[in-house]
Amino acid sequence: MMIIPEDHIEQSLEASLDHCIKCNICTAACPVSAVTDLFPGPKYVGPQAQRFRHARQPSPDESVDYCSGCRVCNEVCPTGVRIAELNARARARLVAERGIPLRNRLISRSGLVGRLGAGPHAPIANALLGSKPLRMVIERTLGIAREAPLPAFSRYTFRSWFRRRRAPQIDAGTPKRQVVYFHGCSANYYEPWIGKAVVAVLEHNGFEVLLPRQRCCGLPLLSNGDFAAARRAHEENVAFLAPYALRTIPIVGASTSCTLTLKEEAPELLGMQSDTVRAVAQQTYDIFEFLRLLHMRGELRTDFRPIERTLPYHPPCQLRAHRIGRPALDVLELVPGLRLIETHAGCCGIAGTYGLKVEKYRISMDVGAPLFETVRRSGADMALCDSETCRWQISHGAGVVARHPIEILAEAYGLVT
Amino acid sequence: MRTTIVIGAGLSGLMGALALAEAGLRPLVLAKGQGATHWTAGTVDIWGGDERSPREALQEIGALHPHHPYALIGAHAVEEAIVRFRALTEAARYPYVGGLDRNILLPTSAGALRPAALLPVTMAAGDVRLGGTMLIAGFRELRDFYPPFIAANLAAQGMAARGVYLTIPPAFRRREYNPVTFARLFDNPAFCSDIGRQLRAQRGDATRIGLPAVLGLRDPTGVVAHLQDESGAQIFEIPTLPPSVPGMRLFALFQNAIEQAGGRVQIGSEVICGDGRDRLLTTVWSEAAARRQEHRVERALLATGGVAGGGIRTDHMGMVRETALDLPVRAPANRAAWFAPRFLDPQGHAIYTAGVATDAHLRPIGTDGAVVYDNVTVAGALLAGTDTVRERSRSGVSLATGWAAGRILAEWMA
Amino acid sequence: MRTLTTDVLVIGGGATGAGALRDLSLRGIRSALVEKGDLTHGTTGRYHGLLHSGGRYVVKDPQSAEECARENEILRKIMPHCIEETGGLFVVTPADDESYAERFIAACRRTGVWVEEIPVREALRREPLLNPRIQRAFAVRDGAADSFLATHANADDARRHGAQVMTYHRVTRLERVGDRIVGALCEDLRSGETVRIHAGFIINATGAWAGKIAAMAGLRINVVPGKGTMIAMNHRIVNTVVNRCKMPSDGDIIVPIHTVAVLGTTDIPVPDPDVYDITPEEVRLILEEGECLIPGVSRMRALRAWAGVRPLYKDQDAGNDRDIPRTYKLLDHETRDGVSGMVSIVGGKWTTYRLMAEHTVNLVAQRLGVTTPCRTADLTIEPSHDGAAAAPRAPARSQFAILASPFYMLGHRLAEVEADDSYGDLICECELVTRAHLEAAIRSDGTANLDDLRRDTRLGMGPCQGGFCTYRAAAIWHELRDGATHTVGAPPATALLRHFLQERWKGVTPTLWGDQLRQERLDELNYLETLAVDRLPEATLDAIEQPRDVVIEEVV
Repeated sequence: MMIIPEDHIEQSLEASLDHCIKCNICTAACPVSAVTDLFPGPKYVGPQAQRFRHARQPSPDESVDYCSGCRVCNEVCPTGVRIAELNARARARLVAERGIPLRNRLISRSGLVGRLGAGPHAPIANALLGSKPLRMVIERTLGIAREAPLPAFSRYTFRSWFRRRRAPQIDAGTPKRQVVYFHGCSANYYEPWIGKAVVAVLEHNGFEVLLPRQRCCGLPLLSNGDFAAARRAHEENVAFLAPYALRTIPIVGASTSCTLTLKEEAPELLGMQSDTVRAVAQQTYDIFEFLRLLHMRGELRTDFRPIERTLPYHPPCQLRAHRIGRPALDVLELVPGLRLIETHAGCCGIAGTYGLKVEKYRISMDVGAPLFETVRRSGADMALCDSETCRWQISHGAGVVARHPIEILAEAYGLVT
Repeated sequence: MRTTIVIGAGLSGLMGALALAEAGLRPLVLAKGQGATHWTAGTVDIWGGDERSPREALQEIGALHPHHPYALIGAHAVEEAIVRFRALTEAARYPYVGGLDRNILLPTSAGALRPAALLPVTMAAGDVRLGGTMLIAGFRELRDFYPPFIAANLAAQGMAARGVYLTIPPAFRRREYNPVTFARLFDNPAFCSDIGRQLRAQRGDATRIGLPAVLGLRDPTGVVAHLQDESGAQIFEIPTLPPSVPGMRLFALFQNAIEQAGGRVQIGSEVICGDGRDRLLTTVWSEAAARRQEHRVERALLATGGVAGGGIRTDHMGMVRETALDLPVRAPANRAAWFAPRFLDPQGHAIYTAGVATDAHLRPIGTDGAVVYDNVTVAGALLAGTDTVRERSRSGVSLATGWAAGRILAEWMA
Repeated sequence: MRTLTTDVLVIGGGATGAGALRDLSLRGIRSALVEKGDLTHGTTGRYHGLLHSGGRYVVKDPQSAEECARENEILRKIMPHCIEETGGLFVVTPADDESYAERFIAACRRTGVWVEEIPVREALRREPLLNPRIQRAFAVRDGAADSFLATHANADDARRHGAQVMTYHRVTRLERVGDRIVGALCEDLRSGETVRIHAGFIINATGAWAGKIAAMAGLRINVVPGKGTMIAMNHRIVNTVVNRCKMPSDGDIIVPIHTVAVLGTTDIPVPDPDVYDITPEEVRLILEEGECLIPGVSRMRALRAWAGVRPLYKDQDAGNDRDIPRTYKLLDHETRDGVSGMVSIVGGKWTTYRLMAEHTVNLVAQRLGVTTPCRTADLTIEPSHDGAAAAPRAPARSQFAILASPFYMLGHRLAEVEADDSYGDLICECELVTRAHLEAAIRSDGTANLDDLRRDTRLGMGPCQGGFCTYRAAAIWHELRDGATHTVGAPPATALLRHFLQERWKGVTPTLWGDQLRQERLDELNYLETLAVDRLPEATLDAIEQPRDVVIEEVV
């Protein structure tokens, strides 16, 4: 017997404002309004302002642009108001009315930037972006903060590595299990080793890893209010992925923001409700969510080597927005000797592209300060975090290496990647 | 995987989770959002509905209201919960004082006198019996605290009280303030020193000074000591409208203790349904992006709250539902009987007595009295039969039934 | 006893009374107005806020339709700041008689009511929550009107032209010398003092109460108070006035006004305009009918319900009260009853208040020998600047285009808060009432209690229904108004706090379930657990600044 109560199904994101009982829990939790006066807080610009917004009249407010989109408000809201989504749509309205600044156009196109920078010429691109005078110029002309953490381009892309490698043999006796890997821009252009670890772990567990065409998930476009471009991106990705999803082949990703976008952000914010969109969403998994599911079914290999370490683990906001708990902790608990301490320090501040912007860089560092402090105080020389931009921000702010938990898991399996 | 599930992260869920964690069951607390801790005063109200002492009320309640949650678990279980709770707060260096022998009357932000059995030590100097002149001090920028109004009402009740506004030092000024903004300011010693000096200058003949309950999130007892040193008077906190800083402290303290004992608290995961067989709950599902998340259940503690907390939901047809597991609910028959004509009716509004009925082991029962699930216990405001807000027993019932429900569940054998 | 002399005394501080006062003062006639409560306290403050296009009455009551259509254009011109140009739709739902639509269009043509059929798809694009099964849709020039703001604007303009406004003055007797009415005795409800007003002429503009006033002079007016119940939804579920295209009946219209959408109304005769209740059956009926227009509306969050009483005038025995014409009637008691010195104006609707005032004052001016013509249709009413009556103003930051509109727009207050960066000063956060708004309203003369502040500022009218702002407003009131004179017992603001909580409770109980019930329980936690207002000392009775026996009882 399973009962699906009707009022758990939202009629629309906007209608969720009716759940607000003004209790201020979101305001108390918001990491942005805690550090700046430019953002009055989620209740104000979310459910409260929404009652004053009119679908066919000009935007009456713009402080919503200072919402970082971290979704901490959604997480703590006891009544189910979709505050972050209300804000994202309000920002898209502003963008539709006033246009997108060149800077935002650029930084929201991570696929394009990655294609330009990654490859054999990466050292040159990296050297240029590492040059302080050039960053000053970029800050002045484009408005990208000169101190903001930009990742280094990789000399090779993950896809080129995957194409060239020799696929492993799968025992003829075992039934073939397939999985699609959605690597996203970061694993492809900046951190191919994470993609390699994902592939190694999946293959170690007997999966054939498929790599269909894909493009940027579109989250940076969504968070910069460019809904038209985000819709094109998602339509393409659905076209690439739906054939697999319709055959119930899982789609896994190690970038929590990409998987969240496929699952929910793109369909909901853009109002895309077709069967194929839904099928892709329902087949998409965060890598550790997928591994935890395997474990629940007794299908996860647990031939781990002990790792005697205690490490701080920051569950990124994007992962918390999946509402799936802490799958990395659940799985890594199985590794003997390994002890992960959840940081409980809210948000790292970067929020995708938010912290790159010159007018928001300081805010983003102030938001992250408690987390940096926690990481530093832990004494560990490494922190774990599932989201790439957060890892770059943690390294930048706390001065320690930040790695994806899948790298530790691959290490525990003894897989060299 | 964690198979001991606590649903709800208010006082009852947290207390239950602590009991389960200490029993080594590694509970997973799932909650839709932050709970009633963030809405309420942060005191422990055992019984303030009439002039009896909490202890008297507890001893008599079994005879007067046999279905009252206190009567179900017994006075002894309430005392046990209080002992554990006090030890928890002492260990966190945020001790609660008071006890069951009598209620302490504390000034509210409206200037009324409110009974509480236990209170954080930061509120202790508000005890009305201490006498002397009271200074009530606040900030114009804080919309939820008005010293002149508070002082006027205290004065109308025969207390010597005066209200003043303090000035926020320029370096600390913001545009938008709420209680948490101030709590963060008080976490800063430089801010405290400045306020302390202002208090000394304004003190006059006052021997104690009431401030809004925003005196820091990190080390409130340290802030109070600091302000006492600077001002030369006793300092006490007066709870404000939500968000409740004392409630946030309690939440953090519980979360820390539960995690230390092997549990986990997961906010933002709403349990929307469950499934079971043979009187055993076997699975619950929580709402998540794109699809629900499944949780296998060996034992579960349900503490989702009442109408305010979201454990009970109503509709225009007069339906009353339990939202997580769709358990049978005991509620007034129709909407016409839900409300009294006066908002402040001392009897309260009947709808707020709606909830899940249980047996003496806090297991949910149906209308026929039969247990629905053997491996589920119910705690807190979700329990049927009484309006704990009117009784001024809300936090006491939550702590006591949360602890009892956790203990019972920990001892339950499959 | 105070004594006062005036040329014309207007009784009734609703739309018509304030409109008449303005008309009189613009013609240079010395005049005064008395109202037993606050301005708009009666029916004017208790209607759904529709600026009629006339469409509703084209078939049934063409004269009323013509009047509405003309006045609609005039009001847009003279007080745009009180009007939101929402536009209106008449839609044929599957439950409606299809043949009515053709009669509707023909009647619009005849009466000069502007109408245009639009494709159903376009109607659904404008109103996404509208029933997708509607068969036809007609656009009309309906709008939304802020009747509080408009009445204050009229009264303030009259004051600027020398008129006097006395609220909380209840007429206790009309003074009659032979066949002539020469004045009135009033009780000042706040001081308890009696005030004698000598008047050359009296205008009885008390709407549903007109019969009660006339009876004081031994005259009989058959006014049938027709109770209309309305439900406000928590947010704008529509941005256009949406009517069902059929003979007007119960629950067939939704009016977007400020931040809410009002479902209504019923029409039930009540014996006394001061005593009525809202029944659960009415609430159910309104929601059920609302489902025809907005499927799912009964599961959305309803904020509160209230009722007003229509001043329907019954000439002879009409059948159903819906069949009583909605046009107004000017009763000249000299020709009608042989008693001079007073006229009564009854019936009508908010949209035609100005016309009613003009018609009335024409007669009065003629009797007084004044020949100055009416100018109310041509002179724009300046927005009030006292109180919180939010008037459009010059944009502080150019990007907020909304602030430049002469008409009210939904986003006005939000744009102002943004432009001023005054989030930190919000006292009523739901309706964006700042401390400055509130303090100005508390300081203004006529304000006697927090419920008056609500009418002036929308305090407590949003989702939390005073859950946070009642305490704040009472405490600020204490600082500004209780002053040093209060020495014994609790400060008067304490009584106002309790009074307002009770007022709000009365409004919410008819529609209390779901999210709103959850809200009320949180409000209870605030007021009982955190503030313990039930344990506050009683304020001494004569200090309570609330009028006695004028509170309309809405018993659930």
